[in-house]
Amino acid sequence: MPLFNIRKAWAFLGVALLATPFSWGQAPSSRVALCGACHGAQGNSTLPNIPSLAGQPKIFLENQLVLIREGMRDIPQMKGMLDNVPDSELTALAQHYAALPATKPNASRQQALYSRGEALSKDMRCGICHLPNYVGREQMPRLAGQREDYLLLTMRAMKSNQAVGRDPIMSASLHGISDEDLQAIAHFLALTTP
Amino acid sequence: MKLTLNLFSRLGLTVALGVSAVTAQAQTAAAPPPAWKQGMPDSMANSTLAPLPAKLTATKAADVPLSRIKLPPGFKVEVWADSVPGSRAITRGDGGKYYVGTRPLGRIYEITDNGSTRTSRVVIDKLDQPTAAFKDGSLYVVAVDKVLRFDGIDKNPNVAPVDLTANFNFPPEKHHNWKYVAFGPDGKLYVPFGAPCNICEPPSAEYAQIRRYNADGSGMEVLARGIRNTVGFDWHPQTKELWFSNHGRDWLGDDTPHDTMNRLKMGGHYGFPSCHQGNLPDPDVKRAKPCEGIEQPVALMGPHAATMGVMFYTGTMFPPEYRNVLFNARKGSWNRTKKIGHDVVLVRADADGKNAKVEPFMTGFSNEADQSFWGRPAYLHQMADGSVLVSDEQMGVIYRVTYSK
Repeated sequence: MPLFNIRKAWAFLGVALLATPFSWGQAPSSRVALCGACHGAQGNSTLPNIPSLAGQPKIFLENQLVLIREGMRDIPQMKGMLDNVPDSELTALAQHYAALPATKPNASRQQALYSRGEALSKDMRCGICHLPNYVGREQMPRLAGQREDYLLLTMRAMKSNQAVGRDPIMSASLHGISDEDLQAIAHFLALTTP
Repeated sequence: MKLTLNLFSRLGLTVALGVSAVTAQAQTAAAPPPAWKQGMPDSMANSTLAPLPAKLTATKAADVPLSRIKLPPGFKVEVWADSVPGSRAITRGDGGKYYVGTRPLGRIYEITDNGSTRTSRVVIDKLDQPTAAFKDGSLYVVAVDKVLRFDGIDKNPNVAPVDLTANFNFPPEKHHNWKYVAFGPDGKLYVPFGAPCNICEPPSAEYAQIRRYNADGSGMEVLARGIRNTVGFDWHPQTKELWFSNHGRDWLGDDTPHDTMNRLKMGGHYGFPSCHQGNLPDPDVKRAKPCEGIEQPVALMGPHAATMGVMFYTGTMFPPEYRNVLFNARKGSWNRTKKIGHDVVLVRADADGKNAKVEPFMTGFSNEADQSFWGRPAYLHQMADGSVLVSDEQMGVIYRVTYSK
């Protein structure tokens, strides 16, 4: 992720914090603005390797926010951003993004790659947890329509046991898979309408 | 059935041969199946059964729907401690403080009981699913991959821990290796080594066991084998025998196999991986006469019910008919189309384990009509006054159950 975006985000936060009073049970607009600087104003990311949050299951978002705040899921770009943010605010953020609509994928489909990814996803039974249409549920994320580069980045990290703080079930599930297969799965899922 | 024995034995061999073999394996053959997928028949390829989500945020007592909990007449329940996300293991220090282990956030909380209220602090965090035991002034924190001893923590709250990890020689595979630990009447620390899979020929002999150690990790003895995953045990008040819960495997249908309650026979084999619940041959890991010589359970605890914390009641607060009765927290099923569990049950049995009957004690955490649940009882602890603490891993609170006429 380009550095200037982080700087922009922090600058934006500085202004927003001054302008916005905090209230319980509602995601403060300052925080939403900070998230939006990278994850997209409506939670649909336009930046490489940054995931979309819109339409993700609320529990998934809430759990990840807690894990990131606690430093158990290590995301260098987010370090410190959630320090001391109370649970109630993380829950409100999770509700906020869960309620936003995920945009439809608009990248161009590479049919052979897509078909291979479709078959692999079915064969690997990803749909048992992420549901057959890959929209996710509860603690399991929506994969359909997620950014292709982010899916690939994440699955590569999981496969090589580098995804600290993520469910180890995923490392086991992707153990030994080839990078070509990961690319096919990422392409298929990214182009699946959420 | 697509998953073959061949695959499992290959997995065992691969792990036994070490990292280089794994690399070679990955290049030449399909990966071994992840634990959740092992033993899943093709007929269930479209199942959407999956582990239930944990709640990582703190729950305040006021937000717990306490009035939904049902108990026999005369019993009452209160929220004794709140805001302990993922609370599971409970142990009491010599000085009267309580130590609570939590799984997802890897914390040990110290809870100080001030009578009508409780205060808490985090002793340590970011461990891998720590649990706790207490002996001779020392707090023992046992994570999946670590053993720490906090000496004199009552007087010195910030004491640096002594790392005993190397003495215990825990296995490398982490799956099913959350550890229910307790010091026995013999002063030894009892430690389970779960099977690192749903169903498999374990990659090495150290899995699917119950062991005991001297408190410092020396003098290890393997007490019993073939135990897939025990997540609760206690010693019978009269016979001093260890009784332990054991989780049955997944993906054998709604009604098989049962989780079980068992008595520990020294040197006994409890059937994993080829025989479940004492009489059910495994369809994936086959052996000739798989159930021959296998120890028989005291009681069947419900298929996939997730039978957890075990506690024999020895207090005097509850009526006499509860004396020496086994209490068992059932966290609730995921690998079943209709949920069961989410409760605390009683196992009434003779001291030799005969004539066991399972009956409900604490219910109301789930709703059969819409298959929802809000609480997951996980662990039991008898207080000095004979009341009973029950941890709810879902809510992240601890209940206290009392009785008065």
